[in-house]
Amino acid sequence: MGLKVENVSKHFGSKLAVDNISFEINEPGVFGLLGTNGAGKSTTIRMILGILKKDSGNITWNGKPVERKNINFGYLPEERGIYPKTKIYEQLLFFSELKGMKKEDATKEIDYWMGRLKVDEYKNMTAEKLSKGNQQKIQFIISILHNPELIVLDEPFSGLDPVNTEMLKEVILELVEKGKYIVMSSHQMTSIEEFCKDIVIINKGKTVLKGNLQEIKNSYKANRLEIDTEKDISKEIEKQNMKLIKQVDRNYEIEIKDEDDAYTLMKNLVNNNYKINKFELKRPSLNDIFIEKVGQ
Amino acid sequence: MKDLFIVAKFTIKDMIKRKSFIISNLIILLFIVIGFNIPNIMDLITGKNTQESGDSNSSANAFETKMLIVDSENIFENTLTNLNEMNLGYNFTISNENLSFDNIKQKIENKELDEAIVISKKENQINLEYIVKNLSMVNSVPESLVNALTSLYSNLQISKLGLTPEQIQSITPNFAFEMKQTEEQEVQGNPFVIMLISLVLFYAIYFCAYQVSSSITTEKTSKIIETLVTSTTPRTIVLGKTIGIGIVGIIQIVAIIATALISNALFLEEGILDGIIDFDNITPFLGLVTLVYFVFGYAVYALLYALTGSTVSKPEDVQSANGPVAIIAVIGFYLSYFTMMNPTSNLNQIAAILPISSPFCMPFRVMMGIATPTELIVSIAILVITIFVVAKISIKIYSQAILNYGSKISLKEALQMYKNKNV
Repeated sequence: MGLKVENVSKHFGSKLAVDNISFEINEPGVFGLLGTNGAGKSTTIRMILGILKKDSGNITWNGKPVERKNINFGYLPEERGIYPKTKIYEQLLFFSELKGMKKEDATKEIDYWMGRLKVDEYKNMTAEKLSKGNQQKIQFIISILHNPELIVLDEPFSGLDPVNTEMLKEVILELVEKGKYIVMSSHQMTSIEEFCKDIVIINKGKTVLKGNLQEIKNSYKANRLEIDTEKDISKEIEKQNMKLIKQVDRNYEIEIKDEDDAYTLMKNLVNNNYKINKFELKRPSLNDIFIEKVGQ
Repeated sequence: MKDLFIVAKFTIKDMIKRKSFIISNLIILLFIVIGFNIPNIMDLITGKNTQESGDSNSSANAFETKMLIVDSENIFENTLTNLNEMNLGYNFTISNENLSFDNIKQKIENKELDEAIVISKKENQINLEYIVKNLSMVNSVPESLVNALTSLYSNLQISKLGLTPEQIQSITPNFAFEMKQTEEQEVQGNPFVIMLISLVLFYAIYFCAYQVSSSITTEKTSKIIETLVTSTTPRTIVLGKTIGIGIVGIIQIVAIIATALISNALFLEEGILDGIIDFDNITPFLGLVTLVYFVFGYAVYALLYALTGSTVSKPEDVQSANGPVAIIAVIGFYLSYFTMMNPTSNLNQIAAILPISSPFCMPFRVMMGIATPTELIVSIAILVITIFVVAKISIKIYSQAILNYGSKISLKEALQMYKNKNV
């Protein structure tokens, strides 16, 4: 069950845009598709959605090749856009009818989602009169209105203010609870860490890392120490030849090569009667891992 | 098929609800109503009331030139009254008084007269002084007047010769002119009206087709296309849009024709258009042929415009991208337009067969009664085949070009897209 991408490649002329990418989404939840700009994410998404034909490989949904008739999907593209001079209700109805909904069902869903995302007051307004954030919410509604099984969200939070970001996060969690399969592409690593169980990082069309996010993070040893003290400990750090990455008041972030270095520092501080408020060994964040893997 | 209907329906609703569409069409219809009211407007300006008189000739009289003929020496011996029976387009008043130039000038300024002719005799020569308000638009004395006066004077002099009626008849020309042509095909209808209608048909086809390009570019530039292509196929988008805009075009044409017919019935005197349009040539079959050629001609150009519209990412590039299609359309139109001056020529026959010109040419060959059934069938068949070929090429290139947000796609790149088998 689920989405399976196997050895998929795509050329544009002589340029290899996607090179033998494979990943699977076997259970409902959010899957992270990461990569720098031009890494091949949008091409991969377009192949999953059947907008672009792949040169080689297989993409299946529930064991069947991805075709419009086999998959009910929703898509929030990175390139935002709705009909500027058409009323919101009319364009929502248009897309829901294209997705096979009856007018009565579509109207109910439109009312529900417009209310849920607090844009119901714009129902009879043309899109050009809406703010960018509200236009984005309308486009999000288009992607989920027809109750799709697979939802592809490309940068869903970009351009949203914190209040609307929280609102959208709640809806995404609601969709996961309802058993939806979600592919999320984002440059906001905190959002990926918040939602995704599994990720794939692609760079220049190639897979550079994939798997369970927690397992990936656990596979990395701690490389930083965060320590918060009541007195200045700069001299103790210097004595131990450790590299100070960042200092804010009496809060220090120190690079460590080995966890033992951190414990030695703590021992010295205790012996010299420094009062320690916080001592935390830190593993690389997804952001660090991403930068390491894609080489800036 | 259902998606095609949904896209076409959305396109129609989206177009006809736009304020710009409603206002521009209302203005066109208003101009038509005003156009049919020109005689009434002229009545208001000139102070005449031709519509209320109930005389069917009254509106014609309203446009007749008020002409005074002054024959103070009675050279024409009271025969000038016969001029009013000659239907020369003048309303003649004959005067034997000796009116001066200033008197006549005063009458023209008071709008009692439009023009005048003062007849006088000096030695053996008869002088005709033609007086109008302004000579800038008059090159010479109207030929019809000269002929009529010459004829009247000749008849007067002949009658004085004491000839028998037989002798008079023998020297009075009584020619029976008959027109014949060497070509077998006879052309019916007024060619200038046909050319005017051809021009209207060209603009109707061209501007409806152009809307397809604008609509596609709008979808691309507003990025809605990303969502649209995941909701339905590119083929459905192109064909649905083409059908939708075509239906709107037909609605516009029907509205224009209906407004013209209603205005004609309400505001114009019966029969006033008969001199301009030969209604006997306008048959249901001609209407059907015109509709078929409008639809098929529109389809060819709309699909070509769908292709060019998908190749640009910025609205300002639309015109340059559409340039080649505009050139093809103009060549097609002029090929049809100029060969219509000689409708039985081989070139006009070719224009009626070529798919780029046949929509502007064949309906008028049918109207003129010179199109053979074979020509008609071959022309429609070629047009239909062209639609399929253009649709195939356009949809294939559109499918790839529509998600390309870079610079305008070149002809070479478009050809590569067409050759790409993996689409």
